[in-house]
Amino acid sequence: MSHVWSDEIDEIARRLKWAEALGGEDKIRRQHENGRSTVRERITNLLDEGSFEEIGALAGFATRAEDGTTISVMPANFVFGLGEIDGRRVALGADDFTIRGGAADASIMQKQVDSERLAGALRLPLVRLIEGTGGGGSVKMIEDAGYTYVPANPGWDHLVENLSLVPVVAACMGPVAGLGSGRAAMSHFSILIEGISQMFVAGPPVVKHATGEDLTKEELGGAEVHRRSGAIDRIVPDEKAALQAIRDFLSYLPSSVYETPPVTEAVEPATSSDALADVVPRNRRQPYRLRTILDAIFDAGSNFEYAGYGASVYTGLARLDGHPVGVVATDPYKGATMTPNGADALTRLIDLCETFHLPIVSLTDQSGMMIGLQAEKTASIRRGARAVVAAYQARVPMAEIIVRRVFGVGGAGQINRHRYNRQWAWPSGDWGSLPVEGGVEAAYRAELEASDDPEALMQDIHRRLEAARSPFRTAEKYGVQDVIDPRRSRELLTRWVRDAYRLLPELVGPPSFGTRP
Amino acid sequence: MADVRSELTASVFKIEVAVGDRVEEGQPLVVLESMKMEIPVVADRAGTVEEILVSEGEVVEEGAVVARLAD
Repeated sequence: MSHVWSDEIDEIARRLKWAEALGGEDKIRRQHENGRSTVRERITNLLDEGSFEEIGALAGFATRAEDGTTISVMPANFVFGLGEIDGRRVALGADDFTIRGGAADASIMQKQVDSERLAGALRLPLVRLIEGTGGGGSVKMIEDAGYTYVPANPGWDHLVENLSLVPVVAACMGPVAGLGSGRAAMSHFSILIEGISQMFVAGPPVVKHATGEDLTKEELGGAEVHRRSGAIDRIVPDEKAALQAIRDFLSYLPSSVYETPPVTEAVEPATSSDALADVVPRNRRQPYRLRTILDAIFDAGSNFEYAGYGASVYTGLARLDGHPVGVVATDPYKGATMTPNGADALTRLIDLCETFHLPIVSLTDQSGMMIGLQAEKTASIRRGARAVVAAYQARVPMAEIIVRRVFGVGGAGQINRHRYNRQWAWPSGDWGSLPVEGGVEAAYRAELEASDDPEALMQDIHRRLEAARSPFRTAEKYGVQDVIDPRRSRELLTRWVRDAYRLLPELVGPPSFGTRP
Repeated sequence: MADVRSELTASVFKIEVAVGDRVEEGQPLVVLESMKMEIPVVADRAGTVEEILVSEGEVVEEGAVVARLAD
C-alpha cells in the first residue's frame, strides 16, 4: 500500500544501505585480512543483541548526477549512537577504518563531537572504539581549503568534562595516532590488542622524518611498549577480549557521577578463607601469591585488574558481597617497592574510585617508594607523593588489611591514616619507620665496636628487636586497631562494605577537583 | 619460543632450572633479589627451557629477557 510519504520512507532505507556498506567490499576484505573486524561488526559484538540505536547514519558525502539526483552517499567514517551493555544504556562512538583509514578528511567532525555531548548530556558511560587518526588527514586538505587554521581539538571541552561526569572507556582497535591517541588517553580505562593495535602520538613515517628513528608500528607503539609505558591500562590478546574488558569494566561503575555503583547479587569467593592462614610465608624474604588472597576475599570472578603497568603495585576492581570496590595491593612476584609507574597506577585507581564513589580496600604490603638512580631520574618521590595526595584527597570510605609490610613514605601514605578508616592487621604484619634489616650496624655502631664479641652482641640485638617488632606489641599500645585471624578478613570487610555503601549517597556528584587522565 | 622477562631491575639471587628442563606454567625459573626480598621470575606458560641469559649475582634491568622457553 502506498502512503503519502512512501517515496521518502523508501529513500531512508536506500540511504541506510549506503551507511551499512561502509568503505565498500574491497576495503572490508582488507580490514578482515588484517585480522580486524569492521566498525559495525564490533558494535554488534559489544552491545546486547539488537540494542544499537544509531544516530546520524545519513551523514556523508554525496555523489550526484548532472540533474542533481543522488547516486550514492559515502558515509562519514565515524559510527555512533546508543545501546545497551548487560541491560544498561551506554553511548558509543567508533571509527571506521575502511574509509580513508579513519582520517578526518572523510569525517563529519560534528558526529564525533556529538558522541561526547550525547554521553555527557544523558549521563551515560561512553565507549570509544578507536582506529586510525580520527583527525589530521592529508596535507592536501590545506591546498583544497586554501588556508590553514589555529587548531583546537574538536569537542575537547566535552572530552575534558566527561572525565568528571561519566565512565569513559577507550579501546585501540587498530593503529591509533594523533588525535586518536589523544582520545584513547582521555579515558578512565584504555585497552590495546596485542599484535593488532598500536598507539603513538605520530606514526613511523612522521617519526622517521622528525627524529631519524626507523621503527615499525609495532616497535613504536605495540604491546611491548605499552605493557610498561603507563599510557595503556590493559593489554588483551584479541578483539573479543577487548570487548569483554569494556563490558567488565563498566559493570563496576555507576552510569554517571550522579549515581552510586551498581550492587549485584553476592557470590561466594572462589577460594576458601582457610587459605589465608597459610598464604604469607613466615620467612619475610619470600613472596606470597596475591591471587590466592584476592580469590579468598572477594566474590568469585569479580577480581578485575585495572592499571596493568603498576608492576608490584596491584590496582583492581572487585566485589564484596555484590558491592563494587577498588582494591590496592602488592604483587610480590613483580617487585618489592612502589615504582614511579606503580605510583601513577595507584593515583589512577584512587581517582577513579573517588570520581565514581567506589569504596577502597587496601591490602597493604608496602615497603616504600622505589630507590636508586633510575628511581630518582624518573621522579620516584614526586610521583609517589602524588599518589599519597590522591589518597588523602579521596573522600570515599577506605578500609585496610595490613598483609605484611608498612614502611617508608609510600607505605605510610597508601591510604589516609589521618582520617578514620577501619583497619585490621594479619599476624604477618611488619611495620615501622625503618626496616630492621640493614639498620642495626648503623644504629648500634658504638656498642658493636666496643664489644669483644660483636657477633654475639649482634645476634642479641636482633633477638631483642625481633621481639619488639611483633604486631602484638603494637596492638598492646593500640597502634593498630586489631590483629586478626586472616580467615576473618572477608567477613569483616563484608560488614564494612555495607556501612561504606550507606555513606555513598552523600558523595554523589562531580569530584571537587576535575578528574585528569 | 617465548621470552621470559624481568619485571624489575634487580640482582640474580639464584637460578632454579637448567637448559633442557621441562617447566610448568607459574614455575620459578630464576629468583631475583631486591630490597632484601626474593622475587621469582616464573614461566608464563609450560615449556622447555631453551636458554638462560643471566647468571647469579648479575644485575638485570626491568624488561630484560632472563630466559627463553620452547614448546
